[in-house]
Amino acid sequence: MIRLARRAFTLGGALGLLTGCGRGVPPGRTEATLWFTYGGRNREVLEELVGRFNTAQNDVWISAVFQGDYFEGLAKLRTSIAARATPTLSHVVGEVIPYLAEAGVLEPLDDYAHARELGIIESLGQTGSWVGGGDRPLVCLPFNRSTPIAYLNAPVFEARGLSAPTSWEQLREVARSLTERRGSDATRFGFGCPIDWWFWTALVGQAGGKVVEDDGRITLGDEAGVRALELWKAMVNDDRSMKPPPGRDYNAWEQTNQDFLAGRTAMIWTSTAFLKYLEENAPFRVRAAPLPQGRRRAVPTGGTHWVMLRHASREQREAGWKFLRFMHEPEQAIHWAVRTGYLPVTRGAIERLKREGHYDRHPNDRVAVEQLSVALPWPWSRELFRVQREIVQPRLESAIQGGRDAREVLREARALGARGRG
Amino acid sequence: MTRRSLSPFAVNVVLLGIALLWLLPYAWMVSTSLKTLPEIVKAPTAPLPAGLNLSAYSDVMRAMPIGHYFWNTTVMALAIAVLQIAVALPAGYALAKLRFRWRSLAFILVVATLLIPAQVRFVPVFTLLADVSLINTMTALVLPFGVSAFGTFLIRQALLSVPDSLIEAARLDGASELRIVYGLLAPILKPTLVAFFLFSFVYHWNDYFWPLVMTTDEAVRTLPLGIALLREQGTGVRWHVVMAGNVALSAPALLVFALTQRHLLRAVSSKAL
Amino acid sequence: MSPGLLPRRARDPLLLLAPTMVLLAVFFFYPLLSAAYTSLFDWDLLTEARYVGLENYRALHESGELSHAFSTTLRFSVVVVIGSMALGLGLALALNRTGAFAAFVRGAIFSAYVISWVSVALLWLWVLDADAGALTALVRGAGLTPRSWLGDPGLALYSLAMVTIWKIAGYSMVLFLAGLQDIPRALYEAAALDGAGRWSRFWNVTWPLLRPTTVFVATTSLIVSFQVFDVVRVMTQGGPVQSTTVFVYAIYEQVFMNLRVGRASALVVVFFGLLLVLTLLQLLAWRRREAAR
Repeated sequence: MIRLARRAFTLGGALGLLTGCGRGVPPGRTEATLWFTYGGRNREVLEELVGRFNTAQNDVWISAVFQGDYFEGLAKLRTSIAARATPTLSHVVGEVIPYLAEAGVLEPLDDYAHARELGIIESLGQTGSWVGGGDRPLVCLPFNRSTPIAYLNAPVFEARGLSAPTSWEQLREVARSLTERRGSDATRFGFGCPIDWWFWTALVGQAGGKVVEDDGRITLGDEAGVRALELWKAMVNDDRSMKPPPGRDYNAWEQTNQDFLAGRTAMIWTSTAFLKYLEENAPFRVRAAPLPQGRRRAVPTGGTHWVMLRHASREQREAGWKFLRFMHEPEQAIHWAVRTGYLPVTRGAIERLKREGHYDRHPNDRVAVEQLSVALPWPWSRELFRVQREIVQPRLESAIQGGRDAREVLREARALGARGRG
Repeated sequence: MTRRSLSPFAVNVVLLGIALLWLLPYAWMVSTSLKTLPEIVKAPTAPLPAGLNLSAYSDVMRAMPIGHYFWNTTVMALAIAVLQIAVALPAGYALAKLRFRWRSLAFILVVATLLIPAQVRFVPVFTLLADVSLINTMTALVLPFGVSAFGTFLIRQALLSVPDSLIEAARLDGASELRIVYGLLAPILKPTLVAFFLFSFVYHWNDYFWPLVMTTDEAVRTLPLGIALLREQGTGVRWHVVMAGNVALSAPALLVFALTQRHLLRAVSSKAL
Repeated sequence: MSPGLLPRRARDPLLLLAPTMVLLAVFFFYPLLSAAYTSLFDWDLLTEARYVGLENYRALHESGELSHAFSTTLRFSVVVVIGSMALGLGLALALNRTGAFAAFVRGAIFSAYVISWVSVALLWLWVLDADAGALTALVRGAGLTPRSWLGDPGLALYSLAMVTIWKIAGYSMVLFLAGLQDIPRALYEAAALDGAGRWSRFWNVTWPLLRPTTVFVATTSLIVSFQVFDVVRVMTQGGPVQSTTVFVYAIYEQVFMNLRVGRASALVVVFFGLLLVLTLLQLLAWRRREAAR
């Protein structure tokens, strides 16, 4: 019996090996794996760049593996860290980087050649993305960085002689006037936006607040937080001009895109990341616009940063570094940005795009770049991702979709946040 | 049992309607998979595609090594089913045919594991396998399912009706216990084993949970995992691609079902012992 | 239990059982104990675990997470068990006959049991899509206002329950069919001679004789519905507003999204306790039935 089991096992093992070997790393090259977390168009562009890198030199082979959306990919990355079977490179949302850095799983990059001389735009790199980020060991480099922007169905706006709202009052007004109903069933909503912490953070900033104070206190913006949430509530429940998309995480983001493309919403807020996707798939002209201001203008930055994992071998990390440097050359930074809608992350890239007149030809691409002047940094807080996932996000949903009072849910969240820090 | 009050025709019409409740979603899946993205955006509920467009299928092939996933899934399900039978046969034999001190206790232990499903075990098993660097291996997918309480139970019950004299005769011929188990009893139990094999194979071929939590690597990714990933694109769901993937995932299962319907139904109903 | 043969060597039974017992110990009993132990720690998989006593249980209880997961799972289970059993029994009664047509309908319904949960979830995600889904179009076509099947916190759990019923009704149908076929025809004939009508025959012959099957189907579908994960993971990720965060999904989310392994282990312990209670209740029901005979 044991013999039989063993036979079954060697068979299984041999088959597994056989299939595992079919990945085609050319002999003599160091393989470094790279995990990425988006599909569709952005995936194609990344794979193209990886392919470019692999053919441009003969030492390193980057194997790019798709791991689902950000949330799923993050779960996978943590799993792999716990199992000590990490990739060499991955890209990770900003909210989690402090946690991973403090847990000691990220490779410090300072000692790699030219690490601080890549010409990275300050507000997109570690220095400007986190309060005090520049004083810490360098653990990440910007990759696909974004800000939230507004997308407008241009013909619909033009037919009504409306322009992009520049204040919260205008936002409500425009959304109301663009909403169309047949009976009680809305055939088109004026506004759509995922009920997501990122956009709420933008609103908190615009209302003059901060989610986490510089000293680490989790205030959730106090009054500003409440005003931000109440704006949404008013638009969903009172004006009925905002379509609350179903689902969580990327379900909601995807749904927001689909609603816009299908003409079910006339204006949406989402990441600049989807600019090219929306431009190409919309059967109408798409116009991008900056987010309106409340008491002030403000946006968070979003998207991901490259990180290198400590568990990778020395050779793999060296190989991974070569790829990171390659990606920050203007050529690649530009290719990535103009093909997807993400921000170019180096000064060299932006200057060249300006020089070549790219932003005059593609005014939509300019919106996110210009918004960088009002981008707010995130706190360097270990607990930030838990504040987001466990405390804030479910309560935003329960206020909008569950009909709970904005002030009350945020008070509850603050209390939980204070305890979590204790 | 005649049903004179309802006309057989009316009953059949109702039954046909019910069958359609199950069949139409499949038709809908196939139809969507043959559409293009602009078609879906424009008229999502059009019953038929504009033409026979296979681009969604080539998109699936481009997005993932689907043949490789298919192979992984099959190897995994096969290995589990074979291992379960190999382990359960001697155990079932000892529990059904041999008299020894701990028999009742052993039997209770086996049956008690029905209470400890994968969802209860995965956290500690994950950390255990991580400690010995077995995450992302076939072993992590197969070994934790090596014992099937249901399979052991089924084999034991089937063995109860095999006469002792058969075994005594084999012993007189000098056959070892292992020979008796695998050489003599296994062929006698063939119908039970085939039914159980099918049941176990289909179950694990379809499994999503365990591969999801035990693997991160493409090399051991299974088909249900890969297909579910098609939905998580981040930009916008491309339903035609997701449905094309779904056809690839469900068609083999439906085909196996069509071919082995009789055995499979027996495997399922034999649970009601 | 048959008296059985004497083993040739005393250690034979133990050797024969050894692979089973080793696997059971490593992959079933050790994990259970380990979960109980881990539930006393604050641990994120990445850094050193910290002993916190019963803090994880307290936090789960105080945040309402525990009772929420419990009530969500329970409501889901009740709907699924009752729905799939009623449907399965009805179909079994209607389809308990020979002929190609009946076989075709049986096959169509059972097919959903054979395909994977992921397939079913993706399929219905598309059918139930709030804007572009086929069901939404049907409802709209009938002149009614469609609701957001998966986006409405008051509805999403029941939409998932409906999908689950669709998936497993074929299973209970097959079991009920097997049960029906075990009922001796003579009993019906005798009842018919006594002048019993269709309903009376059902209540006096079919229903009592199906009881073992009913208990079995109830138990297995209860366990299946308690372990629901795939449809939640693929269709709603526990939302909207955590209205579909069932037990297993809560465990998954604590481990992989929130990196709280200790808290997840505490959930595991409670979840196992629940399964244990359910099984004991079922055993009790069996005993009572045996005694009643």
